[in-house]
Amino acid sequence: MRRPLTLAALVVLGIPGLALAADAPAGGSLIGPYSVLVAGFAMAFAAGLCALGQGRAVASAVDAMARQPGAAARIQTAMIIGLALIESLAIYVLVVAMILLFVQPIK
Amino acid sequence: MDVIEHAPIFRLPGIPDHVTYTWLVMIILGGLAFVGSRNVALVPRGVQNFLEVVLEQFLQMIDEVMGHEGRPYLPLIATLGLFILVGNLLSLVPGMNGPTTNLNTTAACALVVFFSYHWIGFRKHGAVTYLKHFMGPVPLALKPLMFVIEIISHLARPLSLTLRLFGNMVGGHILLAIIFFLMGLQGLIGWALSGSAVGAVVGGIGGAVMIVFTVGFLYPLKILVSFLQAFIFCMLTMLYISGAVEEAEHHGGEHQPAHH
Repeated sequence: MRRPLTLAALVVLGIPGLALAADAPAGGSLIGPYSVLVAGFAMAFAAGLCALGQGRAVASAVDAMARQPGAAARIQTAMIIGLALIESLAIYVLVVAMILLFVQPIK
Repeated sequence: MDVIEHAPIFRLPGIPDHVTYTWLVMIILGGLAFVGSRNVALVPRGVQNFLEVVLEQFLQMIDEVMGHEGRPYLPLIATLGLFILVGNLLSLVPGMNGPTTNLNTTAACALVVFFSYHWIGFRKHGAVTYLKHFMGPVPLALKPLMFVIEIISHLARPLSLTLRLFGNMVGGHILLAIIFFLMGLQGLIGWALSGSAVGAVVGGIGGAVMIVFTVGFLYPLKILVSFLQAFIFCMLTMLYISGAVEEAEHHGGEHQPAHH
């Protein structure tokens, strides 16, 4: 129990397998249940890390705007473009998650 | 998806929804332009005044980012921006389907940008000079490597433009759909109306909180995102075009980092 998070993750990841093994016939695919889990976890990681990155960007931009109010407009434009570029990485994960959830190309 | 999301009210048989609503956006924008330019007056009033204010915003943006030589590209940039903005806002109207929540529409916009900025670069510098720039100011041995990397980075631009707009719009769309699903007749409000005492209290209070949250927070956020995404799409288009136009002046100098 020294690593409760790892244990919890193992339990959570094991649940669909157990649930499916209980009633699914042999050869039933685990990809469906796992893809739902993976989609949620992927979005959580992406959103968290994206928030860290954007937070750094906004912090520096606000710092710069406070130091040089004259250049505020240009800094803001650059910040918004930078935020869009950072955010697009999280958006890729969102698209992948949506493909896993709704399109389900792999069954 | 079908559980939480309903089809739009108005559908044409045999035509996909995003195409129908793209036509609606075209009708809205074309109608506005027609009404605004019917009686062009020196002192603008009404619709013409509104349109001139909107276009002046675009002009100001172009002047800031590209300088005065960017003005010829106003039609391309403003059309894309207005189309995307109206398309984004249309998806917020209940019963409507925004064209920008479909990957095909955003991919079409991004491909238009991709081909136009390369066409502009080709026409401005000629094919050889323009292609030479892809190699960048690096030693000769590294040039083939640089060329491949630049090509990939240029090919990634329409992909990221497409997915950014699509993902932002659909993400918000799904969020709203889930909130409405939780709030609706199968959710909290249904519970409040079901007749049980606990349901009436919890469902009533919860439904009221959700309605306030949606109207007071989610909708303004979505409107902000709609404007922001249209702005970012225009801004990146301008950066790409100015990158293609200015490239000759940067030869041998400092290499501009690629914008993705």
